[in-house]
Amino acid sequence: MPCVERPDDFEQRRVRLRGMTDAELHSYFWDLVDKLVAPLIEEARTHTSPSIERSVLLRMGFSSLEAGALVTGMHERGLLGHGAGRLVLELAQAQGLSIRAAGTALLAGQHWEVLPL
Amino acid sequence: MKLSPDKKLDIEEVLRDLEHYRPRRKGWTWRRPVAEQPIGPFIYQDTSENLEHSVPLPAARDFEEIDPQCDMVITTEIASGRFEDDLRRMRMAAWHGADHIMVIRTTGQSHIDGLIEGTPEGVGGIPVTRKQIRATRKALDAIEDEVGRPINFHSYVSGVAGPEIAVLFAEEGVNGAHQDPQYNLIYRDINMHRSFVDAAESKKILADAGILQLDGAHNANATAKQAWKVTPELFVQHAINTGYSRAAGMPAELVALSTVPPTAPPAPKLRLDLPYAVALRELFRGYRFRAQQNTRYMEADTLEATVTHVLDTLISRLSSADIQSTITPDEGRNIPWHYNNIAGVNTARQTLMGLDGLGELVTLQDEGPLRETARELKERAVLFLEEILADGGYYAAVEAGQFVDSGYYPERNGDGIARNSQGGDGAGTVIPREPGYGAPVCSHFGHNSYNTGDGKACAGYSGCTLCDPSKIRYIDEPDLADTVEQRLQQPLAERAAGLLRPEVEKHGDNIVCVTLFVPEQPAVAEAAALEMARHMGLGNPEVISRRIMHPAEGSVFEIKGMLDVAINISELHLPEQVAALPEAEIEAWVRPRDIHVVAATVGEDEHSVGLHEILDIKHGGIEKYGFHCHDLGTSVSIERLLDMAEKTAARAVLISTIVTHADMHRKHMQHLHDAAQQRGLRQRLVLVAGGAQVTDALARAHGMDAGFGRGATGRDVASFLVRTLRAREAG
Repeated sequence: MPCVERPDDFEQRRVRLRGMTDAELHSYFWDLVDKLVAPLIEEARTHTSPSIERSVLLRMGFSSLEAGALVTGMHERGLLGHGAGRLVLELAQAQGLSIRAAGTALLAGQHWEVLPL
Repeated sequence: MKLSPDKKLDIEEVLRDLEHYRPRRKGWTWRRPVAEQPIGPFIYQDTSENLEHSVPLPAARDFEEIDPQCDMVITTEIASGRFEDDLRRMRMAAWHGADHIMVIRTTGQSHIDGLIEGTPEGVGGIPVTRKQIRATRKALDAIEDEVGRPINFHSYVSGVAGPEIAVLFAEEGVNGAHQDPQYNLIYRDINMHRSFVDAAESKKILADAGILQLDGAHNANATAKQAWKVTPELFVQHAINTGYSRAAGMPAELVALSTVPPTAPPAPKLRLDLPYAVALRELFRGYRFRAQQNTRYMEADTLEATVTHVLDTLISRLSSADIQSTITPDEGRNIPWHYNNIAGVNTARQTLMGLDGLGELVTLQDEGPLRETARELKERAVLFLEEILADGGYYAAVEAGQFVDSGYYPERNGDGIARNSQGGDGAGTVIPREPGYGAPVCSHFGHNSYNTGDGKACAGYSGCTLCDPSKIRYIDEPDLADTVEQRLQQPLAERAAGLLRPEVEKHGDNIVCVTLFVPEQPAVAEAAALEMARHMGLGNPEVISRRIMHPAEGSVFEIKGMLDVAINISELHLPEQVAALPEAEIEAWVRPRDIHVVAATVGEDEHSVGLHEILDIKHGGIEKYGFHCHDLGTSVSIERLLDMAEKTAARAVLISTIVTHADMHRKHMQHLHDAAQQRGLRQRLVLVAGGAQVTDALARAHGMDAGFGRGATGRDVASFLVRTLRAREAG
C-alpha cells in the first residue's frame, strides 16, 4: 500500500518514549533493528543466487567467463540450489578429475546428465 | 616498482607482468596517531605519523615547511573513466595527504550480471575489472612507498554481481568497499530479495578479508529535496545495514557509517547538522564513522562549496570521525578535475590542522538545543522502526514507499521511492538452498554442507583462491578494441616526442579554464565573456560558473574551453637555475671585506617581512655571512636609500617591493636604476629587487642586476652578491 500523506504528529507519538533514559532508548532502538533484520538474514542463510554461485566458482579457481557459463548452465537445468561448487567438486571426485578438469568438461557439455550426484 | 619524486609514473611498468602481481597486504589500515607530537615550532594534539614526501600547505613556507598529518584518514574520490589517468591523480593526492582512494564505477556496472574484464573506458567512473584493480593496487603500492604511508584503495560492492566483486576485492588487496543492499534497491531498482541475499555473502567475504565497509545511507541526503528532513530515516538506514552486517559476521570495527552533514549555508548549518552528528555517534557507539562532505547544495561555485566543506569538517572534529572524506569543489559542475581533487583534500587537511587541539578548548553543551534535538532525532528514528515492524517488516516498508520521503518523520509527504518486492533487476533469481547445498570455499555465508566446524570448507580439494592465490584466473583483455594499450598510444608517443598539452582530467584533453569579469548586466556580460574566450582561441567555450557581482555593474565567469596546442619541451627557454654557493665560501669571501649593504621596502609600502627574511641573522639572512646591513625600514623613498648608500659607501642596494598596484613594483625598480645612474652610483652598486611578484627577468628588464621572488632565501641573495662582486673585482 502506498504511503499516504501525514502531518508531523511527533509530539503525540513520542509521549510513551519520553520516560526512557537515553540508554534505554538506545537499547530499544537496537532491539527493533534486530527484529527487523532477523527475517532478512534468515532468507540469506537459506537461499542463494547466480552471483553467489559464480563467486564460489571464482574462489575454486575458475575465471569469471568460466564461472558465468557454468552457473548459467546449472541455472537453466534447475541445479543451482545444490550449489555450483558442490556440483563441480562432487563431479571431480566421482570422475577422478581435478576441479578445473571437471569444470572444463562441463563447459564442453560433458557429464551434465549425472548431476546432481 | 619504485617511484622517484622527479620522474613521472611509468604506466608501462605498471602494466608489465600484471598477471603475476600480488598485493602485499589485505585489509584496512588506520593512521597511527602520535600524542603531543612536536613538529617544527609547534606541539600537536591530533596528529599522526609524518610523511616522507609531501607537498605542504602553502603557508608552511613560514613555518619551517612542516606538513603535520591529522589523525583522520582522508579520502578522495577519483574516476575519470580511464584508470591510467587516475593513477597520476592518485599520486598527486597522496602527496597532499590523501590515504583513502575511492574509485567510482562506470555508469551501469550495477546492472551487469557478472564481472567485467580487461580495461575498457568508462563513463563517470571506471569499469571495475581485475586488470584495472590490480594495476591500480600495484601503482598504489609504489605510491605508498614514495609518500611513506599505507594507502587504502576502495570501490563498490553493489549491483547484481556483488559477491563476485567482493571476491575480486578480497583477492586483489582492495582495502575498503561500499556495501549496502538498501542502495541497490532504492537507487538502482535491483530486486530487494536478491540484494539482501547477495549482501550477506558479500559482507562475509569483506569481513574475512579485513575490508572496511561503508554503508550507503548518505545517498538519501543527496536525493531528498530537503536533506535535513530525512535525518530520522538515515538512522534507520544506517541501522539496517549495520544490524545486517553484524548478523552476516562482520565485526564492529569493520562497519563504518557514511554520514554527511545535511545542510549548507545560508541554512543555519551547525544548529541543524551538529545535533544530528552527535546523536548518530551516540546511537552507533562502537562503530566507525566516515564523514562525507555535503554535495546536495553544490552547483558551480567552487568557493561556496569549499566554505561548506570547511564547516562539514568542523562538524567532524566537534563530533568525531575516523575518516574525513572530501568532495571536489567542482563536483557540482563536471566530472572532477585533477587539481580539484587536490583542492578538496587540502580543504580537509588545512581545516583539521587549524582545528588541532580543539577538544582541549571547547566542549559541547550538556543542556539546551543540542541535547534536545539529538534526543528528538533518536525518538523519531525509533518511531520509524516501530512502524516498519508493525506494518510487516522491511520489504513491506519499501513497497509502501516509506524511504526517501521528503517528510520529517513521522510526517509523510507520500513522495518516497517505492519498489515492488517481486520486481526490479534480478527478480526471481533467489533460489532456495537444497538440504545438501554446499559451497566448498572459505568466507561463505549461510547453510553449507561443507561447514563442518572443524577445518576449512575448501579442505576437500587443494584449497580455494583465498587460501592459495596462485589459483586466481587472470584474464588480460577479452576485447582488443577498447584497451589501455590502445588508449596509451598517442599519450606515450607525445611524451616520447617531448610534447605537452594542457589537461584537467585525461591526457591530452586540452581543457583550460579562464576567469573573466565583465562589467555589464548578466546576459550581456555572459555573451561577451564567451566571445572573449573565442578571441583567446579557445574551442567550444562553455560557461561553467557565473556569479553576479551586481545586476548592472558586472558578473564574473569561469569559462572552460579547448586549447589544442602541443608545446615542445625542447623549444622552451627555461630560466637558468643557479645553485647557491656553499655557506662557508660566501662567508670566507664576505667577512674580510667589510661590505655594506643598504636595504628598504620602497614606496608607500609597509610590508617588512620579506626583507627581514633576506637580511636578518635570525632568519638565516645575509647578515650571518658578515654583510653590514643598513635596513631603513618601510615606505622609504629611493632618494633616501641612495643617500644612505653614498654615506656608507655601500656596494649593494636591496629593495623590497610588494605592492603591485598600478605597476608600482616596476616603477620602483626603474626609478632606482635611473636615480643611481644620475648620481653616478650605478656602476659601483649592485641593485637587487625582491617581492612576491618580482622575477629575475622582470627585475633585469627594469634596470636591476637581479630579482628574487617567492621562496628566495638569504643564501640565494648572498650567493648572487658574492658572484657579482667577485666578478667585478676580477675585472
